[in-house]
Amino acid sequence: MVLVLAIGDLHIPHRAPDLPPKFKSMLVPGKIQHIICTGNLCIKEVHDYLKSLCPSLHITRGEYDEDARYPETKTLTIGQFKLGLCHGHQVVPWGDLDSLAMLQRQLDVDILVSGHTHQFKAYKHEGGVVINPGSATGAYSSITYDVNPSFVLMDIDGLRVVVYVYELIDGEVKVDKIDFKKTATAATH
Amino acid sequence: MVKKRVPDWLNSSLWSSPHPPSPSPYDDGEDYRLRRSSSAAESTVQPPVPVPPPSATRPEPPKVEIRDRMNDSSDNGGSGSGTPSVEDISRQAQLVQELSRKVINVGELRRLASQGIPDGAGIRSTVWKLLLGYLPVDRGLWSSELAKKRSQYKHFKEELLMNPSEITRRLEKSTSSENEESKCGTRGLLPRSEITQGEHPLSLGKTSIWNQFFQDTEIIEQIDRDVKRTHPGMHFFSGDSQLAKSNQEALKNILIVFAKLNPGIRYVQGMNEILAPLFYVFRNDPNEENTAFVEADTFFCFVELLSGFRDHFCQQLDNSVVGIRSTITKLSRLLKEHDEELWRHLEVTTKVNPQFYAFRWITLLLTQEFNFADSLIIWDTLLSDPEGPLETLLRVCIAMLILVRRRLLAGDFTSNLKLLQHYPSTNISHLLYVANKLRTQSAY
Repeated sequence: MVLVLAIGDLHIPHRAPDLPPKFKSMLVPGKIQHIICTGNLCIKEVHDYLKSLCPSLHITRGEYDEDARYPETKTLTIGQFKLGLCHGHQVVPWGDLDSLAMLQRQLDVDILVSGHTHQFKAYKHEGGVVINPGSATGAYSSITYDVNPSFVLMDIDGLRVVVYVYELIDGEVKVDKIDFKKTATAATH
Repeated sequence: MVKKRVPDWLNSSLWSSPHPPSPSPYDDGEDYRLRRSSSAAESTVQPPVPVPPPSATRPEPPKVEIRDRMNDSSDNGGSGSGTPSVEDISRQAQLVQELSRKVINVGELRRLASQGIPDGAGIRSTVWKLLLGYLPVDRGLWSSELAKKRSQYKHFKEELLMNPSEITRRLEKSTSSENEESKCGTRGLLPRSEITQGEHPLSLGKTSIWNQFFQDTEIIEQIDRDVKRTHPGMHFFSGDSQLAKSNQEALKNILIVFAKLNPGIRYVQGMNEILAPLFYVFRNDPNEENTAFVEADTFFCFVELLSGFRDHFCQQLDNSVVGIRSTITKLSRLLKEHDEELWRHLEVTTKVNPQFYAFRWITLLLTQEFNFADSLIIWDTLLSDPEGPLETLLRVCIAMLILVRRRLLAGDFTSNLKLLQHYPSTNISHLLYVANKLRTQSAY
């Protein structure tokens, strides 16, 4: 049972001052084992805050991040799953699921976490699953102003992943979940 | 009616200094044999000729239980280590005979066990289980009772040691059938579904299983730390061997199950020390059927043993009538009754507050004051005495004080405290004999 937080596109301080208080009250240290962050934090203070939630922090570079040292893509293995991370502004058309699927095959991962569109998405294709955690602050994106704050918490348990989607809709936190399993023999890419 | 004068038998010079550690308990000569059993009528004894155990005992070879200690402290006062005495052998035979009856006479068992259970026939495990009421006195009921309790423990483990992921998975299985969307080749947005009963990992609700799980993690870490520190000198409990690791795992499970079943008291440091001797004895039961279920048996006996001492572990009860302070006060009062001179010197003159030494003696049932083998013998007496473990414990503590009275009377605060916090090794049968004598002398 490994809890992985997927979060990103906060755009603090340029487009949003902070995470919504209802999200902040839930995100406490000691519960989460890994954080994967799509990028666009944008400043060091946000990095430090995330680090305080969990020491295992993985970030890829968004186009507005002030720290230029974050990598463009990252892959890591958690339990039985290989995860890939990329901000997503590099993949054109932005948010296009076929293009993201190509990136996923390139990285050879089961789950690709990518952002930039500020819209939550969970999409399945032959090569695996693509998850976009959206923007945790509800910051406006290059595409739209109408953004609900959201992030994703994955519970990886053996060959099964339960994805909990946390969204702030009309001031209330709404939680949904998505279940999927990996077949024991890895899908051929 | 309080005795002001120390009784004559206490004034004997024998009591003033601890007996020097000796590999064989018989170097003290005849005096030792005299004091050993209160009911024996023998006045002179020759050193025992090694007598083979009577054929009435079970055919397995006499097993020396305490074999694997890493440190080499000599077995002072350990009855049964080395050549068993004639008396030991006879008592062992009597115990074995008592245990083989169809309906066991607990009073008789108590009487025999309070003199110490010899290691020879591997019967300590069964005797303790009977004394703690885990096994019923009617042998015919043993298998059904044991089966019931063992399966109950298995259920506890399954329910309580499950992590929230598994729990939610089982909840879902019962409410809806599995989706069939894991076919390779289908594309599309993954369907979102509602969470069951508002449960999600970041939930802050008091009744949330996730929240409770994270709160329990702290306690589990504490238990883990304490179990690793239990008896670091013994291979059985500590080290990298497979045996030690599996024993530690078992101890942890028992303590975690106990903590979850008792939210009022949870886990308190020290419970691991009370659990350790029980587990050791049951694990070394020569009967393989029993060792397979050692966790379950130890759990229930631990609960039973702790029930008499629970209040000592509850911080809120510290100052109450049932708490540890009140027990220590009782000890102090007992000391005053039996040996006012010593009491006065300790508490008034040198201001050695009994809390400084007796706290550990009482809460940990003397497991830290003597070597492991000796503490098992003391526990034989604690568990078998009809007055109950607490009263017996207090008497043994008083006996401990009396045995070193001469040193205490000559000492000041520092030396007395040092002596009592590192109690010198002593002849255990001797100690228990004195404790027994105190019973008939007590004023209440």
